[in-house]
Amino acid sequence: MQLSLIGLSHHTAPVEVRERLHFPEKDIPPALHALRERPGVGEALIFSTCNRVEVLARLEDGLEALPLLADFLATTRRVAPESFQSYLYHHSQRDAVRHVFRVAASLDSMILGEPQVLGQLKAAYATARAVGTVGSVLDEVLTHAFAVAKKVRSETGIAASAVSVSYAAVELARKIFGSLEGRNVFVIGAGKMSELAARHLLHSGAQTVFVTNRTYARAQELATQWGGRAIQFDDLLNHVAQADIILSSTGCPHYIIKKEHGVRFLAERKNRPMFFIDIAVPRDIDPELNTLDNIFVYNIDDLEQVVAANRRVRQQEAVRAEDIVEREVDRLLARLKRLELAPTIVALQEKLHAWRQQELERARLGTLTPEQRAAVEEMSRALVNKILHLQLTQLKRLPQEPDGLKFIEFIRRTFQLKD
Amino acid sequence: MSSLWLWVALGFYSLGLAHALLTVARRRQAWFRSALLAFGLGFIFHFVALVEHGLALGRFPVTNISEATSLFAFLLTLGFLVVYWACEMTSLSVFAFPVVFVMTLASALSQRPAVPVSPLVKASWVPVHVSFALVGYAALILACLAGVMYLIQERELKRHQPHAFYYRLPPLDTIDRLGARALTVGFPFITLGLLIGAVGASGAWGPDWIRDPKVALSFVLWFIYLLLVISRVSAGWRGRRAAVLAILGMVMALASWSANYLSAHHAFLGH
Repeated sequence: MQLSLIGLSHHTAPVEVRERLHFPEKDIPPALHALRERPGVGEALIFSTCNRVEVLARLEDGLEALPLLADFLATTRRVAPESFQSYLYHHSQRDAVRHVFRVAASLDSMILGEPQVLGQLKAAYATARAVGTVGSVLDEVLTHAFAVAKKVRSETGIAASAVSVSYAAVELARKIFGSLEGRNVFVIGAGKMSELAARHLLHSGAQTVFVTNRTYARAQELATQWGGRAIQFDDLLNHVAQADIILSSTGCPHYIIKKEHGVRFLAERKNRPMFFIDIAVPRDIDPELNTLDNIFVYNIDDLEQVVAANRRVRQQEAVRAEDIVEREVDRLLARLKRLELAPTIVALQEKLHAWRQQELERARLGTLTPEQRAAVEEMSRALVNKILHLQLTQLKRLPQEPDGLKFIEFIRRTFQLKD
Repeated sequence: MSSLWLWVALGFYSLGLAHALLTVARRRQAWFRSALLAFGLGFIFHFVALVEHGLALGRFPVTNISEATSLFAFLLTLGFLVVYWACEMTSLSVFAFPVVFVMTLASALSQRPAVPVSPLVKASWVPVHVSFALVGYAALILACLAGVMYLIQERELKRHQPHAFYYRLPPLDTIDRLGARALTVGFPFITLGLLIGAVGASGAWGPDWIRDPKVALSFVLWFIYLLLVISRVSAGWRGRRAAVLAILGMVMALASWSANYLSAHHAFLGH
């Protein structure tokens, strides 16, 4: 068995190259068929996203994988091989398995730990399986890869903390308030970023939204969109105390909310905490508010800092994730080795003939004439060969079946073949 | 005193301690599930130890410092398990496990052979007084631990630079509510405990009892406890100030506890 993967990704190739090789969804099934038609190709999977184009295949032993798969890419995408060959990477056997695991676990992604890649890989697997180019080995590799990705996500912090500013804001709000269920949000100034953050907050369970803007009409527009309430800009200080989370992004040249306002809000709120997210430049919220107990002020730089810290955490966690991947690669390879077809067939033949011999000895054929004995022996051999023949024709088809390895495992167990 | 079960419990608690130390050293929750299991087993054996000891003595086993410390550690474990069960607050383990371990260790080391106790300690109100007071103390320790967690988490959030704790500690609001709830549970107990003590003691010694230093400190402590509860309810003191106050209250409680060694009546053995 030869497992090979070639491809290029954002690590190795610029977007001009990636876009030329990219497979639109509808092109994948015919391409998979075309690849399988090529001599020596047993199984195949194409994984194409905006960040990577990869082909994974099980090939016959002794076949030159790189030229074959590169030529396949060039002909199906109608691109000159020279234009992309220098960007290609090629992994085989163990390295190919490791690469698939790393991609699935989002260790190879542009943003470490991002969750989309796993979904995309699952879709690519479903397509190839539906087309029928996923056989026993690829099925095993892919399903194992999905399990590894899940394990990495749950056992390391690789995807634990926010790595975008708006998510970081939501996460901070959670660190302060716990559940956001029933919390009120106040959006001051309608900007793109605050809209995004407000939407995240609402998705996370926040209840009411107050919106205010210099142009009241825009505030009303957003308020209707979110099922919230529009507030006149001049009136905003009278309403802020009702909000737990305040998102501010106006174009004001000076602070809108000053420390003395903060003191007043806290008195009105009986010290219930407030979280100010100031994404305006110049800033809207006096940073001095942060010195008040139960008020937390984050400006855009603070949020960026949190994001940077979270990125570092992800990088640290990635080291542990790599360990998990390495261990799982070992496990899968051991399993593939144990369930190889050829040794299984040999073992099965030996086992059945051994049983035949045993039974012949137990049957005490001494009273029979030599001719009779020969006939019985011949019959037993024919019987075993008949059974074996049936089994072998089935077994030889297994590599093309997605569940093939499970059948081999079943056979090994029922006939008590030693590992 | 047969101490085998207490030592077994201590053995299990030590796994909890190892978890706490490892978590702090590696800045990552280490083996929490196993530590929790060990802690639960420790709790069960601790219970066995208390019951067995009580049966051997033929009375509620709070007649000397060692026994009281043991019961206290037991109550604290109970408190932790309740908190964990109620709000899945895993990070509290880092703070609670070492405290329980140290107290159990102190209790196990200071065990002394049972000696005849003064008739006063045999009075029926004493066990009630002691255990109620201990529940109050345990609740206060929980409130104090919550206070420490709050201050750490608040500092992380105020500084805008998240460190390892930021990722591990529960939200501020959750910690704050834990502190508040611990106090609301603990306050009736400590109040009743002190009342029973006061009534019982005045019956036993007459008006002299009030001059005992421990008694005086306990009333100061009760006032602080009252202040903690009232400031939260009526003045809306929450968050940082409540956390600091809870920690101060705990310091006072420690002083009061150590006054057991100065006090004539609370030396347990009597004169």
